[in-house]
Amino acid sequence: MTEPERYSGRVRVTSPLTSAPAHVRRSVRQEIDESTGIGEIYMRSLIRSQLRAALTVALTLMLSIGALPITFLLFDAVTDFEVLGVPAPWWILGVLVYPGLFLLGWVYIRQAERAERDFAELVEPERRDG
Amino acid sequence: MNTTYGVVAVALVAVATLGIGAFGLRFSRTTSDFYVASRSVSPVWNSSAIGGEYLSAASFLGVAGLVLAYGADMLWYPIGWTTGYLMLLVFVAAPLRRSGAYTIPDFAQVRLQSVRVRQVASVLVVAIGWLYLMPQFQGAGLTLRTVTGAPTWVGTVLVAGIVVINVVSGGMRSITFVQAFQYWLKLTALLIPVFFLVHAWTDDGRPSPVAPDAWFSPFGGTDGPSLYLTYSVMVATFLGTMGLPHVVVRFYTNPDGHAARRTTLIVLALLGTFYLLPTIYGVLGRIYAGDLLTSGRTDTVVLELPSRMLGGTTGELLAALLTAGAFAAFLSTSSGITMSIAGVIGQGMSREGPARRISTITALRVAAVGGIVVPLVLALSADRISVANSVTFAFALAASTFCPLLVLGIWWRGLTAAGAIAGMIGGGLCAGIAPVMTIAWGPDGWLGVLMSQPAAWTVPIGFGLMVGVSLLTRGGVPGNVSRTMVRLHTPEHIDVDRSSR
Repeated sequence: MTEPERYSGRVRVTSPLTSAPAHVRRSVRQEIDESTGIGEIYMRSLIRSQLRAALTVALTLMLSIGALPITFLLFDAVTDFEVLGVPAPWWILGVLVYPGLFLLGWVYIRQAERAERDFAELVEPERRDG
Repeated sequence: MNTTYGVVAVALVAVATLGIGAFGLRFSRTTSDFYVASRSVSPVWNSSAIGGEYLSAASFLGVAGLVLAYGADMLWYPIGWTTGYLMLLVFVAAPLRRSGAYTIPDFAQVRLQSVRVRQVASVLVVAIGWLYLMPQFQGAGLTLRTVTGAPTWVGTVLVAGIVVINVVSGGMRSITFVQAFQYWLKLTALLIPVFFLVHAWTDDGRPSPVAPDAWFSPFGGTDGPSLYLTYSVMVATFLGTMGLPHVVVRFYTNPDGHAARRTTLIVLALLGTFYLLPTIYGVLGRIYAGDLLTSGRTDTVVLELPSRMLGGTTGELLAALLTAGAFAAFLSTSSGITMSIAGVIGQGMSREGPARRISTITALRVAAVGGIVVPLVLALSADRISVANSVTFAFALAASTFCPLLVLGIWWRGLTAAGAIAGMIGGGLCAGIAPVMTIAWGPDGWLGVLMSQPAAWTVPIGFGLMVGVSLLTRGGVPGNVSRTMVRLHTPEHIDVDRSSR
């Protein structure tokens, strides 16, 4: 009589395992891979922060280099101003613009990579220390 | 100018180019090697190669010539060509690399799941490439004539020949070596003579350029057209760079998106350094070679200055160095463009064309020869127009078609195949008619102004059509757009599903 009881006990031990995955927290990676609503939200927020960084650079360019022609046109003082015998527009257009562009690129890359790091930590928290 | 030195310089550059190309050939075995150097080029190599490829005849000779002729207004060109890279960095560099496509038509197909879009993009790659190749070939003819007195066609045919041999023999891998070498050659060739020239200018008592007031200040001629022209040049160069086929193809040779960004940042530094120099040649040219203005040969000012200001053996040797740099400029840019035209035609041939049975590499070789013939004939038959000017038409065409395709494709889920085709054809036709009108007819007044720098109105048309038609055909948004976005925007080291499903 004891034999069947022990047998059915075995069955009980395995049964909770089959339903176990339902209790495990789903990873962000799974959400993204399965294009669920939550996965979409994570992706959209990554794309939005990257686009924001790009548009910030574009806006900075419009307000700096983009504003130069009008500045030269409206303010004679700028055009007439001379440094070491060379008119200011030549210094600005011929020299100063280039380090400015590099700096802008450098700042952008820091922003973009930070957004990607944040996203990576969200998706793969187990690799944070790696 | 001493002919012997000039000929030796040209011969050395040609031999070095072919030699380094042959060195690369030993490594390129597979199709992937051939097209994109197996995507294993480090950022420093890659950015030198991009710099070498990008600094064309327009940069090496054209800018100085324009500054000599028109003064401060012309400094917008090199600024635009550099800023274009910043726009490329922030809007497309990393996602484009992550898309995993070889060329812009590939990207279009991956993103929009449409063969028709791919075909339209392929035609545009070839059109932009030809517009860009023509002035390179013409500039080569002009340079060789200045140096040796040979007829113009000799230089044109010589450059075309070397480019074809190079592309046919080694593909992208050898091109990467060649291009990287040529950036440093071009920088050195322009930098060393500057020390001698500025020294000579100082000994001469530092004379100022003699020119009308308008030359010294941007917008000396204060009027509407000149303001429009400046802004239109800005739009074309800022947005056109990302759409130039030979620029974009370089991004596929980066190992990942992170490297693509680093590469672009180094390129910004390399270009910024280089562009400090042509201005000096232009200003010195105004002082010592003002007669080039009357003879209409301002594009040769860089080559003429050493013999005029220094003379003797020093002048001759420096002139030979500059000739070498100029030749490097023609060779590198032409190789890059030819490579990307050949890549697109070759892929088309081996996928859907009549030659389906031939191997991909054979297709690429045949396409390289075929792709170069048309611009060669154009360059030999067309009258020479200012090198920097005609390059701008290629920028305007790229800015009106590929810029909207890339920017909207990467950042906007709503783009549809129909929208992309409408935008590319509409923007492309507008930007394509402009150079034809300007060269063939040359209208006066505002119409002429609008046609000579079309980007300011053709780019909004391209973007407008793409967005508008996409909104009208909402049902055409590809079903897998979410997967594509994951692929474009997630860093490679994150282990998510990148299949297209």
